[in-house]
Amino acid sequence: MKTRREFLTLTAGAVAGATLGPRRASAAPKAMTVVRESSFIKPFDDYFANTLAPEYEKLTGIKVNYDAVSVGGMLTRLTTIAETKSGPEIVGTGVNWPWLFDQSLVDLSDVAAEIGKKIGPWHDNVFPAVVVNKKWKALPWGNIGQLEVYRTDWFKEVGVTKFPDNWEDLLAAGRLLKKKGHPFGFELGHGFGDNHGWLYPLLWSYGGREVDRDGKTVLIDSDETAKAVDFCRRFYRETMLEDVLAWTDVNNNKAFLGEQISCTNNASSILVVAKRDFPEIAKVTDHALNPQGPKGRFHIMQAASHALMTHAPDQAAAKAFLRWLYDDKQLFRWLAAGEAYYAPFLAAYENHPMWNPEPRYLPYKESLKTTHLHGWPGPPSHAMSESVAKYVLVDMFAKACRGDSTKDVIATAAAQLKQIYKAQ
Amino acid sequence: MAVGPATLARPAPLAGRRLTLRTVLEREGVFGWLMLGPGVLFLLAFVAYPFFYGIFLSLEERRVASPGTFVGFANFVTLAHDSIFWQIVRNTLVYVAVTTVLKLAGGLGMALVMNQAFRGRNLVRASLLLPFIVPTALSTVAWMWILDPTFSVVNWLLVHGGIITSGYSFLGNSTLAMGSLIVVNTWRGMPFYGITLLAGLQTISSDLYEAAAIDGATGVQRFLYVTLPVIKPVLIIVTMFSVIFTFGDFQLIYALTHGGPANATHVFSTWSFDIGMSAGQLGMGAAVALAILPVLAVLIVGLTFYLRRE
Repeated sequence: MKTRREFLTLTAGAVAGATLGPRRASAAPKAMTVVRESSFIKPFDDYFANTLAPEYEKLTGIKVNYDAVSVGGMLTRLTTIAETKSGPEIVGTGVNWPWLFDQSLVDLSDVAAEIGKKIGPWHDNVFPAVVVNKKWKALPWGNIGQLEVYRTDWFKEVGVTKFPDNWEDLLAAGRLLKKKGHPFGFELGHGFGDNHGWLYPLLWSYGGREVDRDGKTVLIDSDETAKAVDFCRRFYRETMLEDVLAWTDVNNNKAFLGEQISCTNNASSILVVAKRDFPEIAKVTDHALNPQGPKGRFHIMQAASHALMTHAPDQAAAKAFLRWLYDDKQLFRWLAAGEAYYAPFLAAYENHPMWNPEPRYLPYKESLKTTHLHGWPGPPSHAMSESVAKYVLVDMFAKACRGDSTKDVIATAAAQLKQIYKAQ
Repeated sequence: MAVGPATLARPAPLAGRRLTLRTVLEREGVFGWLMLGPGVLFLLAFVAYPFFYGIFLSLEERRVASPGTFVGFANFVTLAHDSIFWQIVRNTLVYVAVTTVLKLAGGLGMALVMNQAFRGRNLVRASLLLPFIVPTALSTVAWMWILDPTFSVVNWLLVHGGIITSGYSFLGNSTLAMGSLIVVNTWRGMPFYGITLLAGLQTISSDLYEAAAIDGATGVQRFLYVTLPVIKPVLIIVTMFSVIFTFGDFQLIYALTHGGPANATHVFSTWSFDIGMSAGQLGMGAAVALAILPVLAVLIVGLTFYLRRE
C-alpha cells in the first residue's frame, strides 16, 4: 500500500462491500406485517397468527407478523399508515376504503385474476368495493353479512313459525312480541356497522336512494324515502326499546345475549358467541334474510379484504404471500376456522364443505346476491364515505323515530347530501 | 456592614481567559437556553407544528392519502352553511357552559369541605381525587355500564326501589344523553377544581377570618368578603383552563355516545374526528377543529391580560 489515500479507498470499498453485498444476495425480506381489524371470531385470528403465518415462515423463511387493531379502529390506523407511508405492508380494508386510499395501494389485478381463474370467478357485485378505475386494489376474502338474527322460541310463542318475509309482516310479529315483553332491538345510533346494515337495505327495499349513479344527483327527497321513513318510525315505536337510538355495535349483541330483545340485525357473531358461552340461547337463535319491501330485498356489503401498500419494500414478496394465502389449500382452512363468518365472493365456495357444519349460517351466503355498498347506486366515492361518516341516513331515520316529521328529516338529509355530493 | 453591589456581581471574565466548555456553560445566556431547549423543542414538535399544520390543512381541499389543493376559507364557508355544524356549536356551548358551572360550584364546595379539620380528612381528600386519577378510558367503561341502555344499574335501583316503573333511556333520549355526558364530565373534572381551589384556600391566613369574626361577620359574609376575594385569581385561572380542556373533550363523548342519538351530543372534537378520519376529509376535519379557535383565543387572551393585570 503506497499512500494513505489508497489505504482509505481500499478500506471504504471493503466496508461498502461488506454492508451492501449480503443485502443484495438475500433480496427476500425476512419479515412482513399484516394489519387487520381483529375479528369477532377469535379462532379466525388465532388460525392466521398461530397456524398460517408459521406455515408460511417454514415454507419461505419469511416471518409474517400479525397486528390486530381493535374493532372500529382500522380506518384510523390505515389513515396513519397511508399518510406516513410507513408501517405494515399488507392492510385490511372494508366498505369502500380501496377508493379512499387508491393512490397508496398497489394494483393487485394480476393476483386477483389468478385467484379468479383457480377458485373463481369472483362475484360481480364485489367489484365496486375493490376495483378502482379497473384496477383491483384489494382482495376480498369474504363478506361480513348483516342479517336478521332472531329468537325462534319467542317467535313461536306468538304464532310466528317462519321468519316474516316482508317488513310489514315483521312489524306485525314485532308488535306481538313487544306486548309479550320481547321487543326488537335494531341499532339507530352512531355505531359503524349494525345501523347502516339494516337502514340502507330498508331504504332500498322501499325504492329510496341517496344519490343516482352519476354520483351527483341527490335522490333522497322522494315518496319512496318518505314511505321507508314512515315505516321505520312505526317499526321503532311499535316493536323496539327507546334505547336503540343510542346503540352502537356492541349494544344489540349484549341485549340479544342478555335476552332483552327477540330480533336484531347483525352478523353471525351473536350465534357464534352464543354457541360458545350461552348454549341454551344458541339453540333458539336463527338467521334470516332481510325482509323485502315493495321494491325488493337488499343487504349491505362489507367486503373484508387485504390490500398492499405502495410503500412496501418488496411488493413482489407481499404479492407472493397473498397468492399463497388465497390458495384454496389455505383459504378454505382459514375460512372454516372463522366458522363461516365471512362469506367468500368466489364461486368455488358456493357449495363448499365449509358451510356444512352449521346450516344456520347459509343465509349469509345467500345474501351475497343482493348486497350493495352503502351509497348504492352511487359510485363508491369520497362523498359516499362522508355521507356514511356523517350518519346522514342513520340520523334521518333516527330523527323520525324520535318524533321529527318525515318532511323535515328528509329535507335535512337532502340538504346535507347536496352539500356532500356538491349537486347543483 | 453594608454590602455593596460589587460583592454580589459575578466576576468579569478575565481578558484572555481560556474558553472551555465549562466557562461557556457557565454563561447565563447559554445555560438558560440549554435548559429551555428541550422544552422549546418539545413544544415546537408536538404543539406548534401540529397547530400550524392544522391551520394549513384547514385551508386545503385535502383528502386522505392524496395531495391537497389550496382553497382558502372555502371549508369554513361550507361549514357555515351546514345545519349540523350549527347544531354542533350549540351542543358544544351547552356542554361547556353547564359542566363549567357545575364543576365550579361543586369544586368550590369540595375545596371548602376539604379545608375543614375533621377525622378521616386525608382519606376523604384522597377518595375525592379518584375520578381525576383514574384514566378516562377506564372510568368511561364504568360509566358505559352505569348508563347502559339495557343494563343500567341506576335504572335497576330506581325500578327495584319502586321509584319508577320502567327504566330511563339515559343515552337514547337526546336530552338525557346530553345530561348524562354533563354528569360524567362534571364527576371527572370536579376534583381538578377542588384540589386547585383547596390550594388557594390554604393560603388564606386564619387572622383574616378571626378579624372578620370579631367584627361580627356571618359565615356567608366571611365567604363573600374574605374567602372569595383571596381565591379569585385561582378561581379565574382554573375556570379558564377547565373551559379550554372541556372544549376539546373527546374520549368521554366518543366512547359513550359517539355523538348520537342523531347528533344530539356531537361536539367539535368528535365531529372533526369523524369527518377527518372516517370520511377521509382531512382539510374539512381540520376546519371543524379550528372553528372553535376564535372562542378559545378570546379566552386565552382574556386569561393573559388578567394575569398581567394581577
